[in-house]
Amino acid sequence: MSTGDIVIAGYSETPVVFRSGRSAYDFAGEALAALIESTGIDKDIIDGMSVTVPLSEASNPFFAVYMADALGISPTWLNYGGIGGCSATGGVARAMSAIRDGYCEVALVLSADAPSTSWRANYGAFRGEFQDPVGVQGPPAMFGLLMNRYAYQYDLKEEALAKIATVQREHALLNDNALEKFKKPMTKEDYLSSRVVADPLRMLDSVMFCDGANAFLVMTQARANQIGLKKTVRPAAYAELTNVNGNQSCPDITETGFARIAPKVFAKAGLKPSDISMFQPYDDFTIAVLMQFEDFGFCERGEGSDFILANDISYQGNIPLNTGGGQISAGQPGLASGGLNLAEAVRQLFGEGGKRQVKAPKTALVTGIGVIPYGRNWGTSAAMILEA
Amino acid sequence: MNADVKPRTPPKPNVYVNTAPFWEAAQQRRLVIQYCCDAGKFQHYPRPVSIFTGRRNLEWREVSGRGVIYAHTVIRIPGPGLEGRLPLPAATVELDEGVRFIANIIETDPARIAIGARVAVAWDPITDDFVYPAFKVVEG
Repeated sequence: MSTGDIVIAGYSETPVVFRSGRSAYDFAGEALAALIESTGIDKDIIDGMSVTVPLSEASNPFFAVYMADALGISPTWLNYGGIGGCSATGGVARAMSAIRDGYCEVALVLSADAPSTSWRANYGAFRGEFQDPVGVQGPPAMFGLLMNRYAYQYDLKEEALAKIATVQREHALLNDNALEKFKKPMTKEDYLSSRVVADPLRMLDSVMFCDGANAFLVMTQARANQIGLKKTVRPAAYAELTNVNGNQSCPDITETGFARIAPKVFAKAGLKPSDISMFQPYDDFTIAVLMQFEDFGFCERGEGSDFILANDISYQGNIPLNTGGGQISAGQPGLASGGLNLAEAVRQLFGEGGKRQVKAPKTALVTGIGVIPYGRNWGTSAAMILEA
Repeated sequence: MNADVKPRTPPKPNVYVNTAPFWEAAQQRRLVIQYCCDAGKFQHYPRPVSIFTGRRNLEWREVSGRGVIYAHTVIRIPGPGLEGRLPLPAATVELDEGVRFIANIIETDPARIAIGARVAVAWDPITDDFVYPAFKVVEG
């Protein structure tokens, strides 16, 4: 069996909600029920499961087992994915390996989190001694440092970041699952007058923690045919890298893991950047989106600002960007966030994009980012190319 | 020190790896950094092994405390221990010995904080009897 025989044969996504008062389990249940409704499958054919470590339940080392119990699923393969925003695409890739190795036949890749209701994560480690006292306590300060260095080495135009924010907001207005609070138009002036939180990073460059869930069904194309699932997409290539330049004390922090894995995913898929119908990059901050345009070769390194300003990144454009609004404008459902952009890619390739449908898409590039280490670029970079 | 700034809690040493030598030296206003004796290179924050070799042939060596600003920001959002300190300048400093350090920039006119600016270690009194390493901009 080759990679090409394994597909994503169903997806579901809950609305993104702020301070829902609900648990990751409850959101997961909503996602599973929606998946069963949309695919018509019998729950008991699910014999594999990948679960994302959520911020809201991170203190329970057996969350994935509890989740299987909560959902009435008895998997013969269970993966608990702790690579943050890479856990959804990474979960699909690991499920494909498990199916190829015969550990399971139908895998549920599930991400649910509710950090705006309940935060039960403590990163611990060195942070209490060397990071927290300095005030560099979260992603905004780390990304402020990264933006500052990028702007020193390259040309960073705030108009380009404003365009990412405003176009993604236009997309969120067409997304029923987007956070209610963000369902109002945003202008370039709104962006430029947005409060600076960690220079030069603005509030509107950033995501907001919310609650939500998403789920995917992974199986062979033959099994999908047998069950009668008509819509499938094929993960044509996946690659990830954790702790880029991890054996150096002074790496270039503008060098991301994506620059390393981009050639691998394109080579494996037999595609080039111009073959990509839509780009659904992980967007915790606008600068990460800009840098990924460069890293995946849509333009040269340092030319991201000009590329964004020169191209149409709307859902109708030549390189549609985060057509559901991304996390920045749909809301970030905690560490389930990596499934948000993946769900949008699958939805579009299924032709279910509704008012924001990309015209006849053939391929999608989806990425994930996980955690911000001490004085480095982000921790994990993951990328998946999907084919209709 | 800003009059609004409350005394902060000194960090608890040895939570991650044995960092007592770092904090003991700091209280004598000496900056010591973990050094890999095999690779001949420094690393920071302190690790359980050398990030260069995976071995534990590590020691603490005193460094000059001199370097340049590699990247900088100003923190404007609240967080634990930041009461009365905002806006708070922070930077990634690259020491002359080839290792980076995330630290506050203190005792410095904000207009002088820039990438490439020369810095020297400075000691931030976070309580009456505990200093925490920070940096200040100095002449070339």
